[in-house]
Amino acid sequence: MAERAILSNTRVQAALLLGPALVVYVVFAVFPMLDVIWLSFFKWNGLDPVKAYVGTANYVDVFTKDPVFWVAFRNTVIWTALSVAIPPMIGLALALGLNQPIFGRNSLRAIYYLPVIIASIAVATMWRWMYDPFFGLFGQILTSLGLQAWVPDWLGNRDIALYSAFGAYVWQSVGFSMVLFLAGLQGVNKSLVEAARIDGAGRWAVFRYVTLPALRTTLTIVLVLAIISSLKAFDIVYGLTGGGPAQSTQMLALWAFTQSMQIFDFGRGSAISVVLLAVTLAVVIPYMRWSQKREETAE
Amino acid sequence: MTKFATVTSAAIAAGLLLVATSLSAAENITFWTLNFSSEAANKAFTAVVSDFEAANPGAEVTVVTRGTDDHKTAIRVAAGTDKGPDIYFMWAGLGLGGEYVKAGLSLPLDKYYADYKWDDEVVPAAGSFSRMYPGGRHGVPSSLSGEALYYNKSLFAKAGITSTPANYDELVADAEKLKAAGIPAIAFGGTVNWHVMRLMDVILEAKCGAEKHDALTAMTVKWTDEACVVQSFGELQKWGKNYILSPFMGIDDSQAFNLFLANRAAMMLEGDWLVQQLAEAGKIDDIDLFPFPTRTNRLYGFANYYYVSSKSKNPDLAAKFLDYLLSTPVQQKLLGVSGTTSINKNVTYGELRPMTKKWLDLFNTHDKVFLNGDQAFPLDITTEYFRVINEVVSGNMAPADAAAAMQTFITNKG
Repeated sequence: MAERAILSNTRVQAALLLGPALVVYVVFAVFPMLDVIWLSFFKWNGLDPVKAYVGTANYVDVFTKDPVFWVAFRNTVIWTALSVAIPPMIGLALALGLNQPIFGRNSLRAIYYLPVIIASIAVATMWRWMYDPFFGLFGQILTSLGLQAWVPDWLGNRDIALYSAFGAYVWQSVGFSMVLFLAGLQGVNKSLVEAARIDGAGRWAVFRYVTLPALRTTLTIVLVLAIISSLKAFDIVYGLTGGGPAQSTQMLALWAFTQSMQIFDFGRGSAISVVLLAVTLAVVIPYMRWSQKREETAE
Repeated sequence: MTKFATVTSAAIAAGLLLVATSLSAAENITFWTLNFSSEAANKAFTAVVSDFEAANPGAEVTVVTRGTDDHKTAIRVAAGTDKGPDIYFMWAGLGLGGEYVKAGLSLPLDKYYADYKWDDEVVPAAGSFSRMYPGGRHGVPSSLSGEALYYNKSLFAKAGITSTPANYDELVADAEKLKAAGIPAIAFGGTVNWHVMRLMDVILEAKCGAEKHDALTAMTVKWTDEACVVQSFGELQKWGKNYILSPFMGIDDSQAFNLFLANRAAMMLEGDWLVQQLAEAGKIDDIDLFPFPTRTNRLYGFANYYYVSSKSKNPDLAAKFLDYLLSTPVQQKLLGVSGTTSINKNVTYGELRPMTKKWLDLFNTHDKVFLNGDQAFPLDITTEYFRVINEVVSGNMAPADAAAAMQTFITNKG
């Protein structure tokens, strides 16, 4: 009887349901995160039996002596800014188009979504071949147009390599934004759209004053996910350029990996990871708070 | 108790004692290495292990193979425990292999070198790496790789080049002749940093000489104090601007090789492993090779080694297995399966391709080797070396700034 009473308590039920997930979360997410923070204050190469405590030296080295860190930082900022602007914009345009009753709509949705389910490293391999300056698709197209001299070293020229890699990322990620926006568009109140049209609103006015406000929550989700995924951008850059040429396409996540798993300087790699974590939290938390407040005000 | 029961009990007890005795005599070693390059190599190595176990009752060798990165990680993870291997594969040199030696994870093998007389069996150039570590000799060679300039004979002829260059200046003069004939002199793939690095390594050897080059890689002299360093970076930049098939920073070594096969460039700086690839591509008759003319009489290359772990509980058995592995009959069996040439100088070769024969001569006539930069430097310095080289060869960094960047990084490392 007493057991039934305990089990009927909603708090107990919540604890029972959340408990296993919480344990997994603590073991596989919280503990490694704390471990990385702790490791960032040590010098360790994975071989020495003892980790040497160095205080904030890893952070000082990263900020003042590492010739690649600030390049990676700048690239991460550029990549994030572009990721927040371009794929969501294209995704929204595609969603608006594919929300119309056009022929082959479902097939087109599947086609645009397809790159999302391809592994990033496979996308990188495909695009590396397309970017090959001698035999690649883009080079061949330019050559067939008589513009051979204009074929750039897409991934080898430090001035354009980051943007070439970003092109592949856009191709891969745009379908994800599209699907989220499509889902959001299903929640747009049709009677409001009709009412706006009866009141004489044009396409742009309907979009601006009816559709877009209804997509506010979706937009927040898309942008937050875009920020998080771009700040931790790793695999596609790794597969396309490996951070080169001359570390000019390094990203913070990739540089942290390089330091830890290729150079085996676990302390410095951890310090870069902590910086990345701090940057991510500094960007995402204020944005989420701001958008939450905006939504509450709108309600 | 009946007489039958007594006899049976005694027999069982004797049997158990025998088993216990044999178990206590059993010795086990684990051997961690890279995945074998082919199924044939895998089978051949398995047979070697079985033969060793058969010849040494009670000995058991457990072989664990992994991919390159997995192997590196596994070794590093195992380093902090007592669960590691008795024998492990690692590259030779102060970079990768040296790091483990420095951390005290490799057992000095001087005693075994003397007892088993390994120097009488090993190709001198391959064995030379065991002497480069402080505190004794470490590891035994598993393979030796050399790198040299492969050249397209018809493209050389087309440019009017009739003999191979005897020194660096002649090589540059030949590159200039090729350029004048509209032929890019050499192909490299820049996405894999170590490919262009080879050119910098050999230029440093040519311009600085053996002793200074070694001091530079050992970081015992300052990169900013040696005029030859700036000269070398200058030469590298010259090659990047004038003689390397462009664009090259956005392609990898295999793409560069395809371009070389397609006669788009006259030379490649590649290893002895290219012979088989050239044969498979049907191009072996069109190509020949010569060592990069550094004039230091040292072969450019690297070696793969097997090290005995300092944590091994059976170092004697590990050494005995290595002795068996290095022995002439075993190496004779492995020849052609896990490599075209052997690290054992006593194996006999049958009918060889002229190019393989040339490599064999190079291995046998050079008793000194200078290492690839990424094997010679510690890992963090290697990463910076790659960055600086790529900046210079792309024309984005002045040679003097490159020398300064290298020295600053080395100084900051402390």
